[in-house]
Amino acid sequence: MVHYLLGRFGQALAVLALTFTAAFLLLQVLPGDAIMIKFMAPEMALTPEQIADIRAAYGADLPLWERYLSTVGQFLTGNFGYSIQAGVPVSKLLLTNLPSTLLLASLGFTAALILTILLAAASNMTGMGWLRAGLQALPSLFISVPVFWLGIMLIQIFSFQLGLVSVISPGPVEKLVLPVMTLAIPISAPLAQILMRNIDQVLTQPFVAVARAKGASRSWVLWRHVARNALLPTLTIAGVLFGELLAGAVVTEAVFGLSGLGGLTYQAVGNHDTAVLQAIVVISALAFVTINLIVDLLYPVLDPRLGSKVGATA
Amino acid sequence: MFQIQSRRFIIGAAASLATLSLAGLALGSGNAFAQAPVKGGVLIYLEQQPHDNLYPPAGGFYPNGGVLNQITDKLTYQNPKTLEIEPWIAESWTVNADATEFTFKIRPGVTFSDGTPLDANAVAKNFDTYGLGNKAQKLPISEVLTNYKGSEVVDPLTVKFFFSRPSVGFLQGTSVIGSGLVSLKTLSLPFEALGDATKIIGSGPFVVTNEVLGRELTMTARQDYAWGPKNLEHQGRAHLDGIKYVVTPEDSVRIGALLAGQAQVIRQVQAYDEKQVQSKGFIIYAPSTRGINNSIVFRPDNPLVSDVRVRRALLHATNTKEIVATLFSENYPQAKSIIASTAQGFVDNSGKLAYDPALAAKLLDEAGWTVGPRNLRQKDGKELVLTAYESLPQPQNKETLQLVAQQWAKVGVKLNVLAGDAGSRVADNLDPAKTPVAPAMVGRADPDVIRSQYYPTTRNVLLQKGGVSQKVQNFSDEKLNKLLEDIAVATDPVKRLALVGEVQAYVIDQGYAIPVFEEPQAFAASPRVKGFTFEAVGRPSFYSTWIAPK
Repeated sequence: MVHYLLGRFGQALAVLALTFTAAFLLLQVLPGDAIMIKFMAPEMALTPEQIADIRAAYGADLPLWERYLSTVGQFLTGNFGYSIQAGVPVSKLLLTNLPSTLLLASLGFTAALILTILLAAASNMTGMGWLRAGLQALPSLFISVPVFWLGIMLIQIFSFQLGLVSVISPGPVEKLVLPVMTLAIPISAPLAQILMRNIDQVLTQPFVAVARAKGASRSWVLWRHVARNALLPTLTIAGVLFGELLAGAVVTEAVFGLSGLGGLTYQAVGNHDTAVLQAIVVISALAFVTINLIVDLLYPVLDPRLGSKVGATA
Repeated sequence: MFQIQSRRFIIGAAASLATLSLAGLALGSGNAFAQAPVKGGVLIYLEQQPHDNLYPPAGGFYPNGGVLNQITDKLTYQNPKTLEIEPWIAESWTVNADATEFTFKIRPGVTFSDGTPLDANAVAKNFDTYGLGNKAQKLPISEVLTNYKGSEVVDPLTVKFFFSRPSVGFLQGTSVIGSGLVSLKTLSLPFEALGDATKIIGSGPFVVTNEVLGRELTMTARQDYAWGPKNLEHQGRAHLDGIKYVVTPEDSVRIGALLAGQAQVIRQVQAYDEKQVQSKGFIIYAPSTRGINNSIVFRPDNPLVSDVRVRRALLHATNTKEIVATLFSENYPQAKSIIASTAQGFVDNSGKLAYDPALAAKLLDEAGWTVGPRNLRQKDGKELVLTAYESLPQPQNKETLQLVAQQWAKVGVKLNVLAGDAGSRVADNLDPAKTPVAPAMVGRADPDVIRSQYYPTTRNVLLQKGGVSQKVQNFSDEKLNKLLEDIAVATDPVKRLALVGEVQAYVIDQGYAIPVFEEPQAFAASPRVKGFTFEAVGRPSFYSTWIAPK
């Protein structure tokens, strides 16, 4: 197990280093850079000499490898540099945006999981065919609703019409209610689809028939036998989705006016704000690696048969 | 007075526009001052975009100006109604005959919010930084301070500035948001640290007490503020206790929040949303930015538009009336010249701007561009296909350009409208071969704005040789540049305005620019918000603002 963990840790580091380098190189290929965008825009009304001075002061025209090494050096010492566009240290931008994104993503994800399980359980336990069909059709509806539209509708109804929550100056909990709903609904859709299909598949397995023949109730079989088996593929998808959540909350954040990595990334990409992008890429890579590690470690907990396999490969 | 649904400040620079000025004054007063102002309360202001770097000379970006105008004071105050320069932090001033030396007497007792004095030394340091830049701190030179040589602190309350060439525009330049005065501590910071609003220490009526980067700003009124512009009716501290700026990017959420009472003032209301807001009894404010109109400019370095007949043809192929009627509202007046009708030195050139597709076709024929297959004009095997990038800060710019493209298509010219990322946009906009056409506008209430817009070493919108662009082959217009230089040095105000008139006619005759409309900055506010005013180019001022009880 220790070997396995060390191996996975090494893999993670390699992924991070590769991502860092790839991001750095790709950002250099784009036309223009943040200094050009900021200072050569006509509204700055600068002369060519003034711009040359500024480029020299930022070291923007040093050879590629020199800039790469200095960026690596800065990152290793925990210095992410400054955002040229926003005019603040990147670390400050991250401190403002990362915690709120993590909170929103975690709550949105948890809510999505609850919604998924409720949907799957309800559709399996109901005896009424039409209700079951209706519940099974819900994920398709959820996945087709544009997040943007959903967010605006929730705000219009719950905040502007009913006045139940404020979106402009909300309390700490109030602030999260609608965004979490907005995020959870589309995220729950693929999870629920996979879980429902897996439950249906597992229900056809012989051991289910055996359990039922021994007199187990429908729900007892569902929770004790089927759920565990049906959860594994869902968990894999969930790991991938959670990573997407972190980066993909742009729309939710924009609609609700929340701080977050999504909006920050969007701005930084638009302005070629290399220092910010570099930091975001590393953080996103870190998040993906960590979550996939957690998912891998959870498999043997859910399915003891996988535990021995892990031991064998390590 | 009755409910004022819209009050665009209609201002005449010259005395000949006195009747208009009176109308503006009448609109400006109205019911706003009928009641005694209420002290206290926090106003919630919804901004579309977060501010970026708050180095005051970078204050032209609308969100930046909205923040800086509350927290910094200026040496002088440009009266938004008369456009006269009036005392503020400077009690009085003298200018030498050739406008190369300016001496200001500073009002005693003014302090920055960190407690340090705003005296002659602080003023000198501010302008030395804005006028000369600072290489080590990467602070660029301000657009409004050309030919700045240096300063001299004569006594603790007297400061003198020197210019290497006559600089008539400097006096007005001391009144703009870009010349906001900040403490020595703020001036010592590097450029890349000035995006943190709490670090911008000014002497203004409000102080930034908290910031959630990119999302929210809390401003608190300074209790000891006693140095507002001398000629304002309101003196002393701000009426409001504070302002909360909340960045709300989504248009429908800003409007919904205003109508639901969750905010009192919002910025950036699209023309198509105005009716919805007004029908609920809320008020649209659309102050003019009073500078260069929202325009389409050509880059004559590109051979496709190097012929004046082609440019003039496209000018006459553009139906600005249709653009304003289709996409905008009465708050976006159709342009009558390259500068706003509320700008100093405005001359009505609408006779030269008429929509005339027949004349456009004739000019194109004369220039040798004949209609080929696909209904597209061609010459020597080349098709007349032009490209422009949309400009994000300008209202509905993409839609405007797309409508222009439809209009040009009728005379056989194709205009491609690109969005692009900021990098490609900035790079390509510096390359006349890639962008023969570009949208442009600037807000500044001084004739110097024309020089700044067209002169090669400043904004250089026509992309002449000698600017930051390395891609220009040989385009340069000596006659235009001479006129622009003359505006900068003309010490006689009458002569200066005459030159401004000459430039307007010249730019239009050469077909360098197609002015489309006079750009306002549109806000919406609750009817309970009183005394909401704007500085000379439409940036909000909350100093005299108060909220009436329900």
